[in-house]
Amino acid sequence: MISISLFRGFFRKEFIQALRDPRMKFILFVAPLVQLFLFGVAISTDVKNVRLWVRPEAKDYVLQHVYEHCIASKWFLPKTNNRDRDPFDLLSGGKIDAALVSPPGGLTKSVGRGTGDLQLLVDATNVIQAQSVVLYIKNIANRVIIQDLNLQPPDNPIDFSIRVLFNPTLQTSYFMVPGVMCLLMCVVAVVLTNIAITREKERGTLEMLISAPISSTDVILGKTIPYVVIAMLNVPLILAAAIFLFGVPMRGSLLVLVLASLAFVCTSVAIGTLISTFAKNQQQSMLGSILFLFPAIMFSGLIFPLENMPTVMKWASFLDPLSHFLMLLRNIMLKGGEPYFVALHIGILVLMAVFFTYVSFKRFRTTLQ
Amino acid sequence: MSFIGNRVLAIAQKEIFHVVRDPFTLALSIALPIFIVIVFGFAIEFNVKNIPLAVFDNDNTQMSRYLTDTFGKSNYFIVKNVTSPASAIQSIMSNRDRAALIIPGDFQKNLFAGRSASVQLLLDGSDNSTVAPILSYLASIQGIAGKRLANFDPPQILNLKTRFLFNGELNSRWFVVPGLMVVIMAILSVLLTALTVAQEWENGSMELLLSTPAEPLEIIAGKLIPYAILSLAAVVFVYVVSKVVFEIPFRGSFLVFGLGALLFLLTYLAQGLLISVLTRSQHVAMQFAMMTGLLPAQLLSGFIFPIESMPTFFRYFTMILPARWFMVISRESYLKGSNIVDLWVPFLVLIILCWLMIYFAVKKFKTDLEP
Repeated sequence: MISISLFRGFFRKEFIQALRDPRMKFILFVAPLVQLFLFGVAISTDVKNVRLWVRPEAKDYVLQHVYEHCIASKWFLPKTNNRDRDPFDLLSGGKIDAALVSPPGGLTKSVGRGTGDLQLLVDATNVIQAQSVVLYIKNIANRVIIQDLNLQPPDNPIDFSIRVLFNPTLQTSYFMVPGVMCLLMCVVAVVLTNIAITREKERGTLEMLISAPISSTDVILGKTIPYVVIAMLNVPLILAAAIFLFGVPMRGSLLVLVLASLAFVCTSVAIGTLISTFAKNQQQSMLGSILFLFPAIMFSGLIFPLENMPTVMKWASFLDPLSHFLMLLRNIMLKGGEPYFVALHIGILVLMAVFFTYVSFKRFRTTLQ
Repeated sequence: MSFIGNRVLAIAQKEIFHVVRDPFTLALSIALPIFIVIVFGFAIEFNVKNIPLAVFDNDNTQMSRYLTDTFGKSNYFIVKNVTSPASAIQSIMSNRDRAALIIPGDFQKNLFAGRSASVQLLLDGSDNSTVAPILSYLASIQGIAGKRLANFDPPQILNLKTRFLFNGELNSRWFVVPGLMVVIMAILSVLLTALTVAQEWENGSMELLLSTPAEPLEIIAGKLIPYAILSLAAVVFVYVVSKVVFEIPFRGSFLVFGLGALLFLLTYLAQGLLISVLTRSQHVAMQFAMMTGLLPAQLLSGFIFPIESMPTFFRYFTMILPARWFMVISRESYLKGSNIVDLWVPFLVLIILCWLMIYFAVKKFKTDLEP
C-alpha cells in the first residue's frame, strides 16, 4: 500500500506542476466560475423575442387586440412594416418568425359569427420555437376574444388543480445551473488528469517513475489522487456561486452533495486516466477527451430530455456518469435528496470509478511490458 | 512582405504528411462527426411522450377509472397506480415518476351532482424542459375528459389554423442534424490546429520554420489549408449522412452552403492557431481550446437554446461565435433554401471574424519573432 511520505511527494509534485503556470490557475479556478455565470445567465429553453408579423387593419379590432397582447407578453417582438408583402416571402427571407393572417373580412367579423378563424404561419426551422409559438398564440387569442366579446365560457366540470413541485415559478436557473455545474466539473477533471499523465508519458518521465522502487498501484494512485483533490477544490466555489449568485435552493444535506461530487470526480479522474492509457501523445489524448466529453455532455440530460430517446440510447445515457451526477445534483438541491435514489446513483458512480480505475490499472501494467 | 505560393504549398505539404502519417487523427476527424451526427440525430427528440404518471385513485369509481383511462390512452402518459398520496409524492422525489394524479374520494359524487369535480396534479419541477409540454398536454386531456365524462363540449371560440413552414411535421431531426454538424465541426477544427501547432512549438520545429524565409502569413496559410480541406471533407461526409440516413431535404444552394462552411471552418482553424501561438504549450492550449470551443459551441451557438431568448448582453456576445452564424447558414440552407442575399449578415460577420482571427495570429507570430 502507498506510504504517506511517498504520497506526500507525489501530491506536492502534481500540485506544483498543475498550478505552476498562472494560466492554469486561471483555467482551473476562475474559468469555471466565469463559465457558470455565462451559461447560467444565458441559456434557457424559454422561447422569447419571436418576431411576429401582422397586416394591421384599422377596423379589425379583435386582431389588433390579439396582436397588442402578444407584444405586451414580451414573448413577441412587433414587425408591422412590410405590410404589403407576402408573409411567405418574409418568412423565407428570415425577416420574421411567425405571421398572423386574418380570414377574409377580418377576425372581428369571423368571431362574431361564432368561431373565429385565424391563420398562423410559423417558421418551423426551429421545432421548439414553433411549438411554443402555437401555444402562446392560442392562449393569448382565446383570452382576448373572451374579453373583447364579454363571453362567459362555461367551466369544464372536471377541474385540474395543477401544482409544480420544487420549482413553482419555473425558474430556469434552478434547472440549468446544476447542469452547468456538472459539465464544468467533468471537463476540468477529465482533461486535467488525462493531459497530465499523457504529458509525462510523452516526455518519458513516467517510464522513469516506473523504474523507481514503487509499485504501479502507487504510481496510479499517486498520480490520480492529487487531481481528485484539485477538482474537488472547485466544488465549494461553484456551489457557492450557484446558491448565492443564482439563488438555487439547497434543500438537501451538504454532506451528501459533497459525497456525490467526490464519487463523480473520482469517476471523471478515472476516465481521464483510462483515456491517457490509450493515447500516445497529447494530441490523441485530447481527441480522446472529446470523444468522451462530447457524447457525455449530450447524453447528460441538460441539452435535451432523456425520456424520449430510443431504448438503446437510454442505455447509453445510463453509462454516462454525467447523467447520474446531474440527476443527483437536481435531486439533492431541489428535492432534498431522496435517500434511496441518492444511494443508488452514488453507488453507480462508485462502481464506475472502481471499474475504470481497474481497467486503466490493467492497461497501465500491460503497456509497461 | 511577399506572399509566395510555393512556400505555402511546401508548408501545406509537410502538414499533409503529418496528418496522413497519423491515421488516428485522420480517422477521428472524419469518423467522429459522422458518428456523433448519427447517434444524436436518432437520440434527440423534443416531442415528449410516455411520461410516467403515478395515480392515486381514492374514489375508485367508474368515473375516476374513466379519467385515469383518458390519461393512459393519450399516449403522452404511462399510468402507474400507487396506494397513497404519500407514495405518489415519494415516487416523484425518487425520479421514478414525472407527475402524479390524485383523485379525491368525492370525484364521481361531485361530477354526478353537477359540481366542479376537482383532481390534483403534481408535476416535477426539477426538470423544466418537460414541464411546459406536460402543461399543454394537460389542457387537451382536460378537454377530452370533459367530453367523455360529463358531455362537456362547449362551442369553440377560436379555430387557429397553424401552418408549420419548412418543417411541416415538426420533425426534430430536421432541426437537430444541420445544427449538430455545426457544433461538432466547430469543436473539431479548433482542436485540430490548436494541438498540432502547439506541439510544434514544444518540439521547437516552429522556431526552425520561423528562421526560414517563410513569412508568418505564409506559414499560417500553409498550416490552415490542409486542415481546411480535411474538415471540409468531414462536412461533405456529414452531408451525405444527413441525406442518406435521415433524409433531410436540402433546399438551398451548395455554393452558398459550401462557402459558408469554408469560412466557418477557416475561422475556427485560425482560432486554434491563435490559441497555440498564444499559449505555446499543448496542455494549456487544450484547456483553452476546450473552454472556447466545446461548451460555447454546444450551449451558446443557438443549437438548442434559442439566442433570441437570451438576455440582451448575450445576444450581442454570441455574435463573436462563428458557430452561431454558420448555424443560421446551415439550417436555412437545408430547410428554407435561402440565397446569399437573405444570408448576407451571417456571411459578412463570418468574413470579418475570419479576417480578425488570421490577422491576430499573424501579428502574434511576428512579435514572437523578435528577441
